[in-house]
Amino acid sequence: MRWVQTVSNLFRSLLRRNTVEQELGSELRFHIDRQVEENIAAGMAPQEARRAAVHEFGGVEQVKEECRDTRRVSFLEALLQDLRYGARMLRKNPGFTTIAVLILALGIGANTAIFSMVNAVLLHPYNFHNLDSLVRVWETRGMEEGFDARSVAPADAADLFAGTDVFQNLATYRDQTFNLSTEGNVEPIWGDSVSSSFFDVLGRGPTLGRGFAQSEEQPGFERVAILGYGLWQRRFGGDPGLLGKTIKLNGRDYTVVGIMPPKFSYPVPSELWVPLALPAAEKADRTQLTTMALGRLKPGVTAEKANVALASYAHRLEQEFPKTNAGRSATVLQLRKELYLYSLPLFSLLQIAAVFVLLLACANLANLMFTRMLGRQKEIAMRTALGAGPRRLAQLFVSETLLLSMLAGAAAVSVSFWSVRLLRTSISVEWTKWVPGWDGIQVDSSVLALTILLAFAVGLLFGFATVLHSGRVGLGQTLKESGPGSLTRSRARLRSVLVVAQVIFALVLLVCAGLTIQGFVRLATMYEGFQPGGVLDAEIGLPKNIYSDGTKITAFYKQLLHSASAIAGVKEVALATNLPASNVNNDMTPFTIEGRPVTKTNEMPSADLLVASPDYFPALRIPLMTGRLFSESDNDAVERVTIISKSMADRFWPGENALGKRVRLGAADSNDPWMKVIGVVGDIRQNWWNPAARPTIYTSFLQSPRNGMSIILRVESNASSYAAPLRDVVRQMDAGVALVAIETLKTQVVDSIGIIRILGILMGVFGLVALLLSSVGVYGVLSESVAQRTRELGIRLALGAHPRDLMKLVLGQALKLTGIGLAIAVPVSFAVSRIMAALIFGIVSADFAVVAGFTFLLVAVALVAGYFPARRATRVDPLIALRYE
Amino acid sequence: MTKPTDLVQGTLDLLILKTIALEPMHGWAIAQRIRRVSNNVLQVNQGALYPALHRLEQQAWIQSKWGESENNRRAKYYSLTRAGQKYLKAEESNWERLSSAIGLVLKTV
Repeated sequence: MRWVQTVSNLFRSLLRRNTVEQELGSELRFHIDRQVEENIAAGMAPQEARRAAVHEFGGVEQVKEECRDTRRVSFLEALLQDLRYGARMLRKNPGFTTIAVLILALGIGANTAIFSMVNAVLLHPYNFHNLDSLVRVWETRGMEEGFDARSVAPADAADLFAGTDVFQNLATYRDQTFNLSTEGNVEPIWGDSVSSSFFDVLGRGPTLGRGFAQSEEQPGFERVAILGYGLWQRRFGGDPGLLGKTIKLNGRDYTVVGIMPPKFSYPVPSELWVPLALPAAEKADRTQLTTMALGRLKPGVTAEKANVALASYAHRLEQEFPKTNAGRSATVLQLRKELYLYSLPLFSLLQIAAVFVLLLACANLANLMFTRMLGRQKEIAMRTALGAGPRRLAQLFVSETLLLSMLAGAAAVSVSFWSVRLLRTSISVEWTKWVPGWDGIQVDSSVLALTILLAFAVGLLFGFATVLHSGRVGLGQTLKESGPGSLTRSRARLRSVLVVAQVIFALVLLVCAGLTIQGFVRLATMYEGFQPGGVLDAEIGLPKNIYSDGTKITAFYKQLLHSASAIAGVKEVALATNLPASNVNNDMTPFTIEGRPVTKTNEMPSADLLVASPDYFPALRIPLMTGRLFSESDNDAVERVTIISKSMADRFWPGENALGKRVRLGAADSNDPWMKVIGVVGDIRQNWWNPAARPTIYTSFLQSPRNGMSIILRVESNASSYAAPLRDVVRQMDAGVALVAIETLKTQVVDSIGIIRILGILMGVFGLVALLLSSVGVYGVLSESVAQRTRELGIRLALGAHPRDLMKLVLGQALKLTGIGLAIAVPVSFAVSRIMAALIFGIVSADFAVVAGFTFLLVAVALVAGYFPARRATRVDPLIALRYE
Repeated sequence: MTKPTDLVQGTLDLLILKTIALEPMHGWAIAQRIRRVSNNVLQVNQGALYPALHRLEQQAWIQSKWGESENNRRAKYYSLTRAGQKYLKAEESNWERLSSAIGLVLKTV
């Protein structure tokens, strides 16, 4: 702890200077007095004794000065002095200070605002204890699958836990929608059935009550529920007496045993948990990947190690159960990275763009600073002449720029507070409730630390750049000159380079912004193809305990279609398992084409699987290419039929007629029946992150009934007003069934690509800032150059140059700088846009028109920025110009 | 200001540390003690003593405290810090190594 004392001594010397000085004085006085006593004792006369003592001691002031030097505060004192001086300089030039602080604050603020998103969504999406050891576990079937298809077979999950040495604990769960009924009012609640280990794995238990016991995983004992804090507050007024009472879920009584702490939600946006009680047969099942799994890795086991262990164990399972497990492997992914598939590219893109804005701001500010240094060359020369060494000068500049950047940092903090609030309030909850960590977006300590770090780094950078820039001041020359300082050739070149750099950053940022906005518009118009305006949609989950077989399910849905189409104003009613822009991937299924058996499971073709009712295609305006659509008579009693998408037909039957061909879900020897292709329909884009066209297999709801379906109503007008009639219809059929997420398809589409819009808006803001800064940069350099060349311009005028020639001269310089910048920036923009297209799912594509448009915009802006200095050049009075200096 | 025996820089530090290792002392007493123990060979110059004391204190090898002196006046007493005790030990063994090495050279050459 030596340094603690050293530092505290330092502070004491610095802050309590008077006390320290007094102490030094009395310490030395004591020494002399003591010597005087000693001398007297040795027999000297008092006066003689004092004289001898003082003489022996030597120069008291000299000793004092040496003691002060040892305290090493001279450096700090000088620093304080410099800071005071810097503050005075900044106060003296309020214009410069304001602009410099604003530019920097924009650059730093953009970074901190984006980093606050990155920090929450990418780095800390959940606040679980030891987040890095939490992993999602799932089995892969050798085909590309989305993030919501990560599931395991129940028996495999148990084996993977017991048979490998990587998990401390493992939990399985299934997403489920519950219909919570209280006093005749049914509310759909997102929830999960979870194994009893679920809360242990996450390391979070109920704040009130208890978790689930292992015995409650037995069918018949599972009627207990744990409520989320928000649900408890909202529906039950936070009544602690609710524990032990029963609530009605899906028409059955469940006893409330626990309340989770506030802000707990896993998997988002769950608010209700019940035990996952699987019948013995289902527990031992390996055929279907029906549950999700969440593991806590043992200490010291990394995700990579776990993946190796799981892969080799899955291989063993493959050999042991070839019938079910062939082609199956197992893998883990850190919970933190669960949504990286799409969040990583988006947020990295934003962060990179923000860094570009900062670089641009720095280039801009550098030019400002260097201009200002010109005015101070005299001061520097004077300081040097008076004996200030290079180190002392460097310290002076660095403290000044540090002061500036710290001011900017403070402004940036308020910029980020403001923008984070805007971000959080301006985006629809419908989208953000699915993003873990979104609620955590805030300016927290790590964001503040980054701000301070950035401000500090920028301050240092500028300080040293200024030192280097003003390094070789010709002493005599500068002091002799009477006019303002002048640019040397190399410095003028440096400043031009800075302007060129700004043009490059500006074009790249503008192109990225333009492409993102173009991508958003293209997505929005593509979904317009469905004419989502007149469509209302909702989700229905039929409780499995009541609607236990296909007959009951189809009976319900047939009746629903019938009753809903009777509502006045409804044109079409249809059902489907998933709707476009739902932000949920379609189920994916491997399939076999008749006559083309595939021996290896992982080489099987796969496609999206959608169950739909006959009117689904007309209702969504999906065109029928050939064949026919489903009809009421394609029911359970007749041959199975399927409709496929155009991309599926093109991929698997290129140049052939797909109609009449037969496919079956699963392997060639699976139990699924063969299905005859009866029609081919147009491709649709399922979600913004999916490629535009994916092979899709549609089956009829009459032949493959599902409990959960989405219903769509195409209506005459004002789609949202049909929510109440639709709800009435459902209530009359079964009061225990709830409609979830009733909204217009239009809202759903807009919400689903909300993140792309946010991306577009943020990139657009960055682009505008870039445009503004770079035009200011061009303007600054040209005005400077005109001011420098006043004399030359005056001579030209005196010798008969036409003002128009001077105008051309200056504008030519503007065009030259911009032109060089653009010559570099155009190819760079193309490269960057290609990288971007690859990163964000082909939403954007390199577009010549966008690049060309912004190139012209930048040229135009450069001309405008150059016009004012050019006009000033033409108004130079030759007489004054020649007398000047 | 050359004195009969000018102390090598660093040696003075060692002497000061060793002297106050026994008990806390004020500046004057430290100078006296060194002179007496060395039979008047080592005369510590005040111009060197006080800067050395302040430097050692700044480096946190020693600490100071105001106390009553033998003649009933307030004096600044210096004592070793824990780090200073370790430092002294290390410096002592350094010194022994160095002086025996020099002795060796002087004897053999």
